[in-house]
Amino acid sequence: MNNKNLARPLAVASTLALLASTPLAHADPDDYVHVPAVEYGEREIELRLGTASPTDDHRESAAALAFGYGITTWWATEIAAKWHRSGATSFDELEWENRFQLTEPGQYFADFGLLVEIERPRDHAEGYEFKIGPLIQKDFGPLQANFNVIVERHFHASESEQIELGYEWQLRYHYRPAFDFGAQGFGGVGTWNDWSPLHDQQHIAGPAIFGKFNLHGRQVLKYDAAVLFRLTDAAPATTVRGQLEYEF
Amino acid sequence: MFTRFLVVAALAAAATVAHAAGEPEFNLTLRDHRFTPSELRIPAKVKVKLVVDNQDASPEEFDSHALNREKMIPGKSKATIYIGPLAPGRYTFMGEFNASTAQGVVIAE
Repeated sequence: MNNKNLARPLAVASTLALLASTPLAHADPDDYVHVPAVEYGEREIELRLGTASPTDDHRESAAALAFGYGITTWWATEIAAKWHRSGATSFDELEWENRFQLTEPGQYFADFGLLVEIERPRDHAEGYEFKIGPLIQKDFGPLQANFNVIVERHFHASESEQIELGYEWQLRYHYRPAFDFGAQGFGGVGTWNDWSPLHDQQHIAGPAIFGKFNLHGRQVLKYDAAVLFRLTDAAPATTVRGQLEYEF
Repeated sequence: MFTRFLVVAALAAAATVAHAAGEPEFNLTLRDHRFTPSELRIPAKVKVKLVVDNQDASPEEFDSHALNREKMIPGKSKATIYIGPLAPGRYTFMGEFNASTAQGVVIAE
């Protein structure tokens, strides 16, 4: 194995070791389903929006503006600024997302990737937040299925630092480039090794649409949106989320 | 415990990668922003390895909604794309950066 081939496993192993040795929250309305494939050289500007019906006094909404770049054939990185509204609107956090493509799409029985994300909330009392998890995709003819398990942990936070376990999934039927349809879901079970009672867990799911428009040359506009309904009492009754991505 | 979980996951992933089998290989050439052949016949219900040789100086993105594949191919370089197993039929693809000329179709039969 040459140095170039060693780079990917070493980078991933280093990240895993770092996160395994440091101490690691749940679905925001603007969350989206990550996919394992990475596009080398692709630049993108992304707008994410989401709003969830109130679980207590206020409707909770979130927005993110991100810039992403495919650094190598197996590593894509993205920096995002996030805003949150629950009563008042405020800047919420900075997010650094990294996706590692571990296998070539279609080469094995499923496609695998790894998500590594670091968030720095504006409120420094929340410390830093790490997210890590495998990204899995399987195609069944025109139907694409994704399932990702995400573990999260705060560190250097004023509150207890527990590892929380969440997930995201989607089914996407490839109908037309400008219009695919399917379903998405997000959820969290609580602490990874001591799950909360089901009525305290948050699980949401619902129909989703996706699409892509080739504008000119390298310029592409992609969208995906979903309306998600609560599956457990602790979750917001309805969440509407959307993502608009300009690639160039 | 968490570290043990990661080690097991890494070993499982390594075992999966090691289990890879050889697939029939097909070649596509991209020159002057056109694919040759523009119609590629492959066996249905078999996974195949598609090697795309971009002989142009500029990069191109192999893009197929029907095959659910997007792959950037730098200029003067090759890329490997795995497709299938496919049901018999026609699956269009294109070079996204030069879509007016870079068009093709995979015919699974």
